[in-house]
Amino acid sequence: MNILVCVKQVPDDYAEIRLGGDGKPATAGAGTVNNAFDTYALELAVRFCEAHGGSVTAVTIGPEGAQSGLKNLLAVGAGKAYLCAASGEADEGGTAALLARAVELCQEREGAAYDLILCGKESTDEISGQVGARLAERLGAAFVSGVVEAEPSGDGLKARQETEEGGVVYEMSLPAVLTIAKPAYDPRYPNIKTKMAARKAVIPVLELGAAEPALVSCLGYSEPPKREAGVVIQEKEAAEAVKKAVVMLAEANVL
Amino acid sequence: MEFKTVTPELLEQLQAAAPGRVHTGEDMKPDYAHDEMPVYGQRMPGAVVECASTAEVAAVCRLCYDNGIPIIPRGAGTGLCGGCVPLYGGVVVDTQRMNRILGYDLDNFTVRVQSGVLLNDLANDCWEKGVFYPPDPGEKFATIGGNVAVNAGGMRAVKYGATRDYVRAMTVVLPCGEIVRLGGEVSKTSSGYNLLQLMVGSEGTLGIITEVSLKVLPQPKQTFSLLILFPDLDAAISCVPKIKMAGLDPQALEFLGREMVLGIERYLGKTVYPGQCEGEDVGAYLLTTFECDSEEAMDGLMEKAAELCLDNGAMDVMVYDTPEAIRSAWAVRGATLEAILAEFKQSDECDVVVPIPGIPEFVNYVVSLEDEIGLAVRASGHAGDGNVHVNVCANDMDPDEFMERAERFMALAYAKGRELGGLISGEHGIGHAKESYLEEALGGTVMNLMRGVKAAFDPKGLLNPGKVCGKA
Repeated sequence: MNILVCVKQVPDDYAEIRLGGDGKPATAGAGTVNNAFDTYALELAVRFCEAHGGSVTAVTIGPEGAQSGLKNLLAVGAGKAYLCAASGEADEGGTAALLARAVELCQEREGAAYDLILCGKESTDEISGQVGARLAERLGAAFVSGVVEAEPSGDGLKARQETEEGGVVYEMSLPAVLTIAKPAYDPRYPNIKTKMAARKAVIPVLELGAAEPALVSCLGYSEPPKREAGVVIQEKEAAEAVKKAVVMLAEANVL
Repeated sequence: MEFKTVTPELLEQLQAAAPGRVHTGEDMKPDYAHDEMPVYGQRMPGAVVECASTAEVAAVCRLCYDNGIPIIPRGAGTGLCGGCVPLYGGVVVDTQRMNRILGYDLDNFTVRVQSGVLLNDLANDCWEKGVFYPPDPGEKFATIGGNVAVNAGGMRAVKYGATRDYVRAMTVVLPCGEIVRLGGEVSKTSSGYNLLQLMVGSEGTLGIITEVSLKVLPQPKQTFSLLILFPDLDAAISCVPKIKMAGLDPQALEFLGREMVLGIERYLGKTVYPGQCEGEDVGAYLLTTFECDSEEAMDGLMEKAAELCLDNGAMDVMVYDTPEAIRSAWAVRGATLEAILAEFKQSDECDVVVPIPGIPEFVNYVVSLEDEIGLAVRASGHAGDGNVHVNVCANDMDPDEFMERAERFMALAYAKGRELGGLISGEHGIGHAKESYLEEALGGTVMNLMRGVKAAFDPKGLLNPGKVCGKA
């Protein structure tokens, strides 16, 4: 199976990001990483191909600097990678349109169509969770969100979606787009051989052109209100501490 | 030794010195009776004073000194040898309110802090200011005063040295209440006995450190980590001098045995390090961090380090070169103690430092004592500087029996460390828990020299009595 994994570069989500003087998140010093859910998608794709055969290609829309993120993916199982350049500000619909164009160009380069396209279920910066679904719509492909397991099923695919209540298993025809949630495992890390090969790799750059005009624009960001200081219950005996906590909760009309 | 107890009159005077910050009786938190190792014994002080300035510390010391009351300095209470336990009661001087970073002299690569500043806060603040405070002990929520008092080391000691190497000057309150300034914000000194460095590692027995000037460095531009897989510990440690001789200058170089890693991964609930390599079991790991100036330099250094290790017995080399990957690799090493404490209810520890080639013999020996002593043994540590952390552990054993077995183990472990040319503690200190082992290792003459030094600073023997060389 030919699998394409769409990967976004995001600010390191370990960094504490505040709003800058221009009212936008000040991400300059945070460092850039591959979106965590996209790395789960890549690991799922690699495991799928190790078990059932196939190839994994990674694609990122971003600046020249995004090459290093793609090289990190080549080191952990992606067979090929493409960096796509685009101009203009895209909203989620525009991003999906650019990705659809990227899929088309990658397929032209490969001379073969992708059976399966994976995206993270959301990016850790904007967290809109829309792009995978809108990409599927553009491609006219089957779509399941929040997937944690996938396996072949005849000519199609079976995928397990994780829900708050448990899980749902779906069967679908190909091509399909899946968005990937956190599976039961972590992405692998490279060894020196795969890392050095990846660091020396040359990644083709594809031109996507300008993004479609945005239909939605962001008016502004706000930070969450600061948490108020908590109350420390200092009773030494557990029973007394619980009693006091119950009284306080009752007074606050929580109980 | 006879000490006086805290009287209502003294309490009144202490209140005048530090209004609203003197605690006694039920008002004192039970934590003041111990540090992170309550197993070594606990005792509450007569009073606690949360001092907010050097002048307050001096006033409290004067009052205690004049009244024959023990004075026990205390930072965040994260020590591991009972160093801040009020063995003879008295007044605890809590420095945690003295937590201000007083300022930077960036042209002189110096930061001045009050001694109650937490290591974590200092390290982050330095980074934000564009400089780097290298000492990196595992406990990030210790105070700088505590770090200085035990000469704390940590992961980066292999390249950057321990806390001692960063202390340029300090303000110290002597037990009698007099305030002295030691050292200077200079790069070197040849100006008489180095009392500044004598204070470092003195564990609150000579004076109370209230302010410290610390050296900072330019920030490393980029770092990456390698996890090097070996069939056994001997092969791993044999590689350490090769890495150093090649001039690779790792910032950190730690070793972990497979058993330890399995325990940590059980605690973390996930597998991070490979357990096998091409069908062969991994027996030991070296975890390293290197620094470089650019992406290009990183390529060369990474390749050179990996090749060197593969040529010297390594099975494979894993690469961690993104912030997330580096955090993930080090989270395993960082969770060592938590994993042990999650698996076992009872634990005692030592941090013997041996010459690096002696690490495998020392570790294999202490692990071989498991059956003889009847306690689980867990060892890991700093391969780059020979500091081995050993925990002996049990669950639901009678506490007296546990301590008896642990003491038998410690006597054997320290003897082995001595045989290999090692010392009692690499970075945790002596406190009161390790004093008898120190005496055995150093002998009466050296211990008496130490007691003479102690007497010069503290003629009445009131400051942190019963610690390091002060057994009554």
